[in-house]
Parts: sequence; structure tokens; C-alpha cells
Amino acid sequence: MTESKLTDLLEEAFVRCRNLEVPLADRLQAFANEVRGLGPHFQTAVDALVSRLAQSNAGASAPKVGEPMPAFLLPDEQGRLVRLEDFLDDGPVALAFNRGHWCPYCRINIDALARAEEEVGAEHRHIVAIVPDRQRFAMWLKSDAKAPFPILTDIDNGYAMTLGLAIYVGDELKQMMVSSGSDPAVSQGTDNWMLPIPATFIVGTDGIVRGRFVEPDYRTRMAIEDMLAALRSAT
Amino acid sequence: MHHIRYFLAVSETLNLTKAAERCHVAQPALSRAIQALESELGGELLRRERALSHLTELGQRMLPMLRQCYETAHAAKMVAASIKNREAAPLSIAVSHTVALNRFTTMLRELSRAFPSLQLKMHRGSGSEIAEFLKSGTVELAIAGPLGETWSRLDELPLFEEPFGFVVSRTHRLADRNEVEFKDLAHEKLVINTGCEMVEELKACLEANGILDTATHQVATQEDVLALLKAGLGVAIIPVGAVEANGICRIPLKQLNLVRKVSVYTVAGRHRAIACATLFNTLRAADWGFDTGTKQQRRAYR
Repeated sequence: MTESKLTDLLEEAFVRCRNLEVPLADRLQAFANEVRGLGPHFQTAVDALVSRLAQSNAGASAPKVGEPMPAFLLPDEQGRLVRLEDFLDDGPVALAFNRGHWCPYCRINIDALARAEEEVGAEHRHIVAIVPDRQRFAMWLKSDAKAPFPILTDIDNGYAMTLGLAIYVGDELKQMMVSSGSDPAVSQGTDNWMLPIPATFIVGTDGIVRGRFVEPDYRTRMAIEDMLAALRSAT
Repeated sequence: MHHIRYFLAVSETLNLTKAAERCHVAQPALSRAIQALESELGGELLRRERALSHLTELGQRMLPMLRQCYETAHAAKMVAASIKNREAAPLSIAVSHTVALNRFTTMLRELSRAFPSLQLKMHRGSGSEIAEFLKSGTVELAIAGPLGETWSRLDELPLFEEPFGFVVSRTHRLADRNEVEFKDLAHEKLVINTGCEMVEELKACLEANGILDTATHQVATQEDVLALLKAGLGVAIIPVGAVEANGICRIPLKQLNLVRKVSVYTVAGRHRAIACATLFNTLRAADWGFDTGTKQQRRAYR
């Protein structure tokens, strides 16, 4: 299969799955099934990565419920430098770590988060996404999902790494990602092939983590209902 | 994150005992942390020998990226702590004479908003002066065109590309032209900025197009180029970003195809203070409207 053909097939599959009127988990699963249908070799490499991460307990040290969420200062998609506190001044916030604009699972996730933000934004409860992509790509991701929330750039996964969320993709998957048109080196502006483990933290106005979802299997994300429940019960 | 710090210490000492001492940790704890890192990265990083451990091929390959990530993560921690403590935030930078500041002013404004205690010290200089500022530690970060410097500790990250353009005073006889060619410049004096990082490339370009060295005025700063142009002493070819002065206009010059790369420079292994670390990340994250034309890029434009 040529590179462009594979990229187009993945894009078509993404659009089909994003537009499904079903919960986020089902949309992600639908996309995973489509990928599986494209060939077994990619699946094997992904499974190897996920089991390697699970074995090494990757992400386990990330802040837990009841612990303080470390502060950050990161540029948003327009280059404004924002702090965690700036968001907490207005109310509890859900921080959603995503891998990048090239990742269809992240695009589906951001799409679902955009709808959730419309639901809770008026209640002074907000969503903030964090990606290692540079501004242009963060901006693209934002307009792709018509996301009303900011998408922050975490250069080199620096903040994610302080939380124990930065992982190395691995040589095998790296090759496959490049050939399927998903090259994070371009959007990250570095070719260190590190990605964040997708994770969502619900942080109360006191800066304490009130909800947490950390999953080395990037095909699984925090259920929107769980995130909304945690956001609404946080103060 | 401490896993990586331990690994970096081992890579520098090549001795587990010494690395453990340096990190103020017991050796078994250091060994366990490195094993954990190995399991996370999916391969052995070290060949362990009592006195002299050494890095495996994977270890060698991962070292630069782990160091880069660690430095950024460490800076992220420092910045977060400093915001809390409202620490003073001194920042010494150098910007080339030939680089217009207007592309960076929004970033500096953001920086001063994020760090109310920011104390900016900005130097201007030629390419060689900028290299000196970096070497001597006078500045932590510099923005300039190609420095032509081979110092191994100099880190360069390209930001954007900028073409050179032909400029004249608005009162010049060529000012009303839609386009000019090099042969139109036969009776003109070219004002050359010898402090420009690309002066050799510019001279070569002029020579290739039949402009003699004797037909030039030479000055040392961009400011003086513009001053001479306004005074009617000649015409110039300068990076287009620098054309912000009143009374100067740019006219397309056929056959002129000179482009330079503007980069951010830092010194490897030197501690970056909080304001510098933040500016560095902001520069890297920014959208400069230039990049290599890859698929992702095209997708981002779609």
C-alpha cells in the first residue's frame, strides 16, 4: 500500500468514527477496529508498546487524587503564556494530555471534549488540552474540532515529563508511524520521539487533583461522563 | 524523571558508585531506577561492569534526547516554582543588528506579563560579537542569522527563513520602478553592512552579478545602511525583515535569490534561568510561518 493511500484510508476511517453519535469509548473502539482492518502488523507493534508500558508501570507516578497538581507556564495556540492558576481562578479545570494533531484518537478525543466544554463552560468549569505540538499544529487541532478551549504547547514534553507521563515511542512503531504519515517530529520541532501518555486530571480551585485517568493504551481515554462528573463535583 | 537524572549521571561518570554519590542516592536505588528506565524504553541502556560501565548502542542513541527532555522538564519545574515564589527574573539576550525586533516583541510582552519581575538586558551586535557574547556568558540566548561559528557547545535551532530584498530611499530615481535588474545598478553605489552575518554570501552574489567591490560603501550596522540610503548615498540589499524604516522602499530585484535562516542560539550544558528557559520554549513553540514542506505541514494548512 502506498503511503498516500494509507493516509487517505486512515483519514476516511477517522471521519466516519468521529461522526458517530455514540459515546467516546465506542468511537475510539470503532477507529481501533478500522485500523485493525488495515493490517495486522501495525496492531502488533502497538500492542507491544502498550504491554511494554504496562509492564514498566509507565504513568503510575503521575499525581494522584488528593495530591497537588504541579504548576505550569505554557504557551497556548496563540502564543499567550498561561499558568494553571489562571484557569483555576475561574473554577475547576480538566487538563487533558493528548499526543498530537496527527493522532486520530486524539482528534476524536478533542472533538468529544469540545462538546463537553460547551456543556460545562457556563458553569465556570473548563477544559484545557495539552499537546507537545507547536502552535501552528495546536491551532489546527483546535479548529479541526472547533474546540472552544485552549490547546497548550508542551515543548519537548517537558511538563508531561515532570509528571512521569513522557514515553519513548520505540524504534519499530517509529518506522510505522512515519510511513503512515504520522510524524510527530515535524509538529513537535524535535525528533526525540517522545510522546505523552494520554491522561486527564481534574483539578479543584485549591490546585488538588480531584479526578485522574492515566492510560498507557492511547486508544482508551477518560469517559466524558466520568470527566464531567468529576468536574462538577470539584470545587 | 529522576530515572533520567540517574542515567545522565551514569553516562557522565561511567561508574555506578560515583553516579549514585553524585545523585545523593544509594547505589541499589540508582540501579533499580535505571532498570525501570530500561524497561520503559524497551532495551538495555548500560553494560554494567564494576568500575567502568558503558552505554549500549541504544543508550548512546537515547542519550541526547533524554538530556534534552530532562533539561526542558527541569526548567519546567524551576519555572513553576519561581511563579509561586515571585522570584526575580533576569534575562540577558543578544539580537543581531540585522534582525528586526518586531517579530519578537509580542513574545517579550508575554514574558514580562508572565514574570512581572523580568529584568531584560538586550545586546545588539554583529555575528562575531554575538558569538562572543554567548561564549563569555554575557548572554544566555541569542537570535541571529548564520554565525559561521564552529564552537561545539553552540546549539542552533532554526526559527524562520528570510529573503534579502533590494531597497532604496523613496526619493531615489529607482523608487517608482516595479522591478529592477542587476544591470540597472551599474551606476549605483551598494551600501554593504559588514556586520551582517551573510556579508560574504552577499558579496559573492554581487560579484556573480557583475557588481564590483569598488562600487560599494561599507558600514558596520544595519542602522547606518538605512541612514546612508536616506541621505542618498546609494542602494542596498538587506534582509527584508529589517526594512521597517520610514522613507525606505523595497523593489523586486530580478536574479536576487539570497535567503538566510534566523536561529535561536544557546550554549549546551549551561544553566538556563527561568525567563530564558521560558523564552526559549516560546520561540520554539511559535508559528513563524516557515517550515520544511512536509505532509504534516500541508495538513496543518488544509
